[in-house]
Amino acid sequence: MSRNAATAPAAPSRLRVWLDQHLHSLAFSLGRAARKPGSTLLTVAVMGLALALPLGLSIVMDNLRHFTGSVQQSREIGLFLKLDVDPAAAARLAASLRQRADVESVEVRTPEQALAEFRDGSGLGEAIDALGENPLPTLLLVQPAGADDAALARALQALPQADLVQHDALWRQRLERWLGFGQRVVQVLAVLLGLGALLVVGNTVRLDIQSRREEIGVLQLLGASDGFIRRPFLYLGTWYGLGAGILALGLIGAAGLALREPLAALTASYGSAFRLQGLDAFHSAMVLVGTTLLGWLGAWAVTGHFLRQTRPTET
Amino acid sequence: MSSVLRFDNVSKQYPGGHQALVDVSFEVAEGEMLFVTGHSGAGKSTLLRLIHLSERPSRGVVLFGERNLARVRGGKVALHRREVGVVYQDHRLLTDRTVAENVSLPLILRGTRRGDIAKRVRSVLERMGLGHRQKALPAQLSAGEQQRVGIARAIIAEPRLLVADEPTGNLDPTLSAEIMELFAGLPERGTSVLVVSHDLPLLRRMRKRVLVLDHGRLIDDIAPQDLAE
Repeated sequence: MSRNAATAPAAPSRLRVWLDQHLHSLAFSLGRAARKPGSTLLTVAVMGLALALPLGLSIVMDNLRHFTGSVQQSREIGLFLKLDVDPAAAARLAASLRQRADVESVEVRTPEQALAEFRDGSGLGEAIDALGENPLPTLLLVQPAGADDAALARALQALPQADLVQHDALWRQRLERWLGFGQRVVQVLAVLLGLGALLVVGNTVRLDIQSRREEIGVLQLLGASDGFIRRPFLYLGTWYGLGAGILALGLIGAAGLALREPLAALTASYGSAFRLQGLDAFHSAMVLVGTTLLGWLGAWAVTGHFLRQTRPTET
Repeated sequence: MSSVLRFDNVSKQYPGGHQALVDVSFEVAEGEMLFVTGHSGAGKSTLLRLIHLSERPSRGVVLFGERNLARVRGGKVALHRREVGVVYQDHRLLTDRTVAENVSLPLILRGTRRGDIAKRVRSVLERMGLGHRQKALPAQLSAGEQQRVGIARAIIAEPRLLVADEPTGNLDPTLSAEIMELFAGLPERGTSVLVVSHDLPLLRRMRKRVLVLDHGRLIDDIAPQDLAE
C-alpha cells in the first residue's frame, strides 16, 4: 500500500494552511467581483447611497449642534425695566442684584445704548430719529451663577422695577428637544437604511451562491469545510461594504463641497462665521470599518443560512 | 482483514414515506473492490449518499472503519468526506477551472503545500494519461477524458474508500474497460473501491464481488467465483 508512505511530505502547519486558504479566498473573491463589474458596481452604489443618507443627516445634525452650541451655552436673563425707572435707580438695582449669590454679573444697557445699537443694526436710522423721544427701556443683562436659572428669572420678574423678564430657557429647552428628536430620526434612519444595506449585500451574495450552487455542492462533496465555502463570500461582502463606505464618504464629501460656499454666504449674512464641518479622518475610518462590517455581516448571515440547508438530512 | 465500511441493518425512509433502503447489511474489507447493482430505484444512490453523509440512516448503523457515521456532526462531516473519494457519471467538474485546478481541489482542502500539489497533480494526471491536458478546461475534453479527470480528482488524496456512481454509464466499452482497470489497480494502493453499476457484462468481466439491491433490499451478495459467465 502506498498510502501513508514514508515519502509523504510533512504536514504543513495549521497557521500556514489557514493563511493559504485565506489568500486563496481573498484572491477568488476579488476575481468574482471583477468578473461581474456591473453587478458589483450596482450593489456598491445602492449600498453607498443607502449609507450616505443617514451619514449626511448625522453630519447635518452635528453641524446644527455646533451652530446652536453657543446659543445653548448662553444663560443670560434679560430684565427690561419700567420706563419710569431712571438710570440712577437702574444702577442701584444692578448693584443690589450683584450682591445676590445666584447672580454672577449684571450689565446695564441704557436706553441710549440700546437705541444706538438698534440704529446701527436695523438701518432704520431716519425713522428712529423721526420718533423724537427714545421708546426703549433700560435693560439689565443678568448672568446667573447658580443652577436654577428659572428661580432667578421668577425673582427678577417679582421686582417692582421689572417690566419684562426675557429668559430663553424654554426656547433653549425646545431647541434641545428638536435636536434630540432630529438625532433620533437620524439613528432610526441609520438602522433602517443600514438594514437595507445589509439586505442588499445579503441578496447579492445569495444570488452569487445560487449561481455557484453546483460548484459549492462539488466542493462540499470533496470535503470542503463550512469555513472554506463561506470565506470567499465573506470577503466578497467585505469588499462590497468597503466599496459602499468609500462611495458614501465620497458622496458626503461632494455634497459638502457643493454646499460649503452658499452656506457660508448665508451664515455670513447673519453675522456668523459658521463653516460646515465634515468628517475628520478618525470618523471617516470608523465609517469605513462600520460599512465593511455591515458587508461582512450580510454575507455571513446568508452563507450561514445556505450552509444550514446543506446539512445531511435527518429522518 | 478489517473492514473499511460496514452497514448493519440500515434502513432509510425519506420524508414523504419513500422507503429507499430496508435492513441492508454488508461489509467492505480494506483493499477490496466490489460492485453494487440493481434496477433504477433499487436504493443504490441512497447507499452512496449514506456513505458520503449526504443523508443519515433512519435506522441501523453505518460504520466507516471504527467511526459510527451517525455521530459525525458539524465540521467532522467535511473531514469524513475527505476520506471518501467520489466519482460521478456526470463527472461534476468545475467548468471554469482547468484540469489541474479541478484535480488539485482535494489537496487544497487538506492544506497540502503548493509545491506538493503541483507534483501530485502532475503525477496522477500522467497515470491517467492526461499529462498533456493539465491546462485544458473540462469543455475541451472528451467524455472519457472528463471521466478520467473526475477519477484523478477522487484518488489524488488517496482516500480510504472510492465510491463511483455509474462511472462508465456514458462511455464506450473500450473506455469503460480502461476505467475499470484503473479502479482495479487502486486496492493495491490502499484504496477500497465500491462501484455502482447496472452494466451486467461489465460486472461479469470484472469478476469482483457484487451486491444486488432490489426495492431497497439487499437480495444477493455474490462472490467473484459465483459469477456466472
